[in-house]
Amino acid sequence: MGFMVTTLIFVVIGIIASLCTRICCNRGPSANLFHLTLVITATVCCWMMWAIVYLAQMKPLIVPILSEGE
Amino acid sequence: MVVGECWPTMDLLRSEPMQLVQLIIPIESAHCSITYLGELGQFQFKDLNAEKSPFQRTYAAQMKRCGEMARKLRFFWEQMSKAGLFPSTKSVTSDDIDFDNLEVKLGELEAELIEMNANDEKLQQTYNELLEYKLVMQKAGEFFSSAQGRAAAKQRELEAHHSGEGSIDSPLLLEQEMITDPLKQVKLGFVSGLVPREKSMAFERILFRATRGNVFLKQSVVEDSVTDPVSGEKVEKNVFVVFYSGERAKNKILKICDAFGANRYPFTEDLGKQFQAITDVSGRLSELKTTIDVGQVHRSNLLRTIGYQFERWNFPVKKEKSIYHTLNMLSIDVTKKCLVAEGWCPVSATNQVHLLHFLIQNALQRATADTNSQIGTIIQVLQTKESPPTYFRTNKFTCAFQEIVDAYGVAKYQEANPGVYTVVTFPFLFAVMFGDWGHGICLLLATLYFIIMEKKFSSQKLGDIIEMTFGGRYVIMMMALFSIYTGLIYNEFFSVPFELFGPSAYDCRDLSCRDASTTGLIKVRATYPFGVDPKWHGTRSELPFLNSLKMKMSILLGVAQMNLGIVLSYFNAKFFGNDLNIRHQFVPQMIFLNSLFGYLSLLIIVKWCTGSKADLYHVMIYMFLSPTDDLGENQLFFGQKFLQIVLLLLAFVAVPWMLFPKPFLLKKQHEERHQGQSYGLLDSTDDPLEMELHDPHGHDEFEFSEVFVHQLIHTIEFVLGAVSNTASYLRLWALSLAHSELSSVFFDKVLLLAWGFNNVIILIIGIIVFICATVGVLLVMETLSAFLHALRLHWVEFQNKFYEGDGYKFCPFSFALLSEEDE
Repeated sequence: MGFMVTTLIFVVIGIIASLCTRICCNRGPSANLFHLTLVITATVCCWMMWAIVYLAQMKPLIVPILSEGE
Repeated sequence: MVVGECWPTMDLLRSEPMQLVQLIIPIESAHCSITYLGELGQFQFKDLNAEKSPFQRTYAAQMKRCGEMARKLRFFWEQMSKAGLFPSTKSVTSDDIDFDNLEVKLGELEAELIEMNANDEKLQQTYNELLEYKLVMQKAGEFFSSAQGRAAAKQRELEAHHSGEGSIDSPLLLEQEMITDPLKQVKLGFVSGLVPREKSMAFERILFRATRGNVFLKQSVVEDSVTDPVSGEKVEKNVFVVFYSGERAKNKILKICDAFGANRYPFTEDLGKQFQAITDVSGRLSELKTTIDVGQVHRSNLLRTIGYQFERWNFPVKKEKSIYHTLNMLSIDVTKKCLVAEGWCPVSATNQVHLLHFLIQNALQRATADTNSQIGTIIQVLQTKESPPTYFRTNKFTCAFQEIVDAYGVAKYQEANPGVYTVVTFPFLFAVMFGDWGHGICLLLATLYFIIMEKKFSSQKLGDIIEMTFGGRYVIMMMALFSIYTGLIYNEFFSVPFELFGPSAYDCRDLSCRDASTTGLIKVRATYPFGVDPKWHGTRSELPFLNSLKMKMSILLGVAQMNLGIVLSYFNAKFFGNDLNIRHQFVPQMIFLNSLFGYLSLLIIVKWCTGSKADLYHVMIYMFLSPTDDLGENQLFFGQKFLQIVLLLLAFVAVPWMLFPKPFLLKKQHEERHQGQSYGLLDSTDDPLEMELHDPHGHDEFEFSEVFVHQLIHTIEFVLGAVSNTASYLRLWALSLAHSELSSVFFDKVLLLAWGFNNVIILIIGIIVFICATVGVLLVMETLSAFLHALRLHWVEFQNKFYEGDGYKFCPFSFALLSEEDE
């Protein structure tokens, strides 16, 4: 799975989550916007975390060197 | 007041719009109106009589009455808690209570209780005195009988001695002494009583000195502690008997006894009388005991009746007191026919608040109807330059996050509230430091317990720490959820990795795997799709890899969050219509931060994507030292040198841009406004009274030097802050490293070591130690430290980019708050 595919999955999850909050707790436009902000922020945070770790391992400069004991 | 733009409103981003409202209430319906407003709980009264002392106010007498009733109720409560009774906490029925009757009743009950207490105290004192008396008689009786026995023996011996051998060596004087004149013989007197044991030595010494040794003191220890009749405390005491001769010595001894708090009791030498006295005292003691017991039963019955009614009385009294307290804030009209109230209440275009306005009106109308008042209450909206209170409508989920923000400072009226993002970013940054999905699940289970038992916990009183944890249960839940996520990213379950998302990308170079521990494994497959590759765990290169990863991650997350902070400052400026702040604060700040640290972030990402071996420290340092030098092997992309020079120039331009234009433009604006005003004054004379009344501050003078120094400080703070705040985000790396190292130490050195012994007992001990260490160190202490660091990152690094936090909270007059506050 490449970078783009997983990013797309994150986007899809984000959209689904915002739709869910829209359907499940529809409490007026300003509350909906608040929920949307929360979902987007959470998705962006999670995506960033994943993307950073993924990118760091894409072209490794150092590789795992097993300990002597093993 | 600047009205917001037309974009859609968001909950919690801006505090509720408020308005200053004036109510003119006829005096006969005032009490009723205030009651209904208190039930509504959406109106913050302004104190219009601030200069008056509490005694000069309109309803001082009523306040005093309520205060008196509250005092009586507090007295009952104290008595009840002393007796170990607690008022029944059943729901308060909201039946109407006649306060006159209640006052009389409380007075009667108080008098009864006080009398009972006095009686009880008197009886108890007598009882204790008698008890001491009995002790004295017993102990002193022992002295006397033993002394008499010894004296008789001595006498007999002496006599025998005397008659046996009236030899020459018996002193001649003895005979003389023996036959002294009975008239000359001084009568020995004695005093008996009880003295506290710790004072007994001093007592003895003083007695000895005061009488120059002409005294004989005998003490005897009372084994059990005795209740002192005067103070009512349990004291260890000694029984003493002092023998003296002469009236003067007696007086001295009596004074010393008084000074030492030694209680004296009469004692007769006559055995028959002694015996009689003891039986007498015992009889009186048992009599008193029954009397006291009956009194106690009666008293606890009374207290129980009070306890049963206590809540029913207590709440209305508090309510009444708060109503009069509020009424005292209203100013009274000259005609004494109506009261004028001023205060803040939320308004908004949303339906709910229209409803609120309607509710207030309705409440006031109801009050008018209830009291058959001729005139209705008049509601007027006032214009003011005063800053309104800040009021966020939170629910049980968001309120804890809002508390986190408010703990730093309450938002200025309608300023962008960091709480919106704190709901997600706070638990997220916590989880970056606390990434372990095993620990995350433990935390989640603990907090789910609180959430499920929510109803039960919220009604009962909790300890300090439990209370705090319970209040933050949703924060902890979010923290736990994000910890599970970041734990999956870090691939740690109690520090153990799992191959959950497919096979590891690394494998041996060949089948024999000879050089796996020298040159290392090789990447044979696509990158591990989700999180850190499980192969890294326990390898020699694990730490260098994780350190580099987490350090870079901290910087990337930090730069992103600081950018978000600056963007929020843009929304603030836009909202308040302050173009100056956008052009001369937001734009140069954005440019400065991103030309240095945004560029660093870009370099990090490019380095990862290309797999280049460039040294980023070197690049960043030489970007300042010698920007024109050739980058050599540190070049990551084409045109990097040119980009660096441009960015550096931009950063240098941004600093004076932040510093100089704003103060000068402010000065210009002020001068323009000042000129404009001197012409436009005639227009505003429509309502001069109102302008005067509600604009107490007037137009303050523009002090250029002050503004300039302020801007200078702000600029320096931002420029230095950009460096130090970015560095401050490295705490994410440090804490996360500490957490993973600690958990792996506990796992390897405790659990695996115990497992290696192949012994059930050692294994059980190992598991217990492991659980204790995990819960104590990792789940409690690490949670606390990661929480504090996340808090700091939000308060300082994030909020100093946009948040002023100099507002004050909206605290409406509400009965619902009243019942909460004194718990």
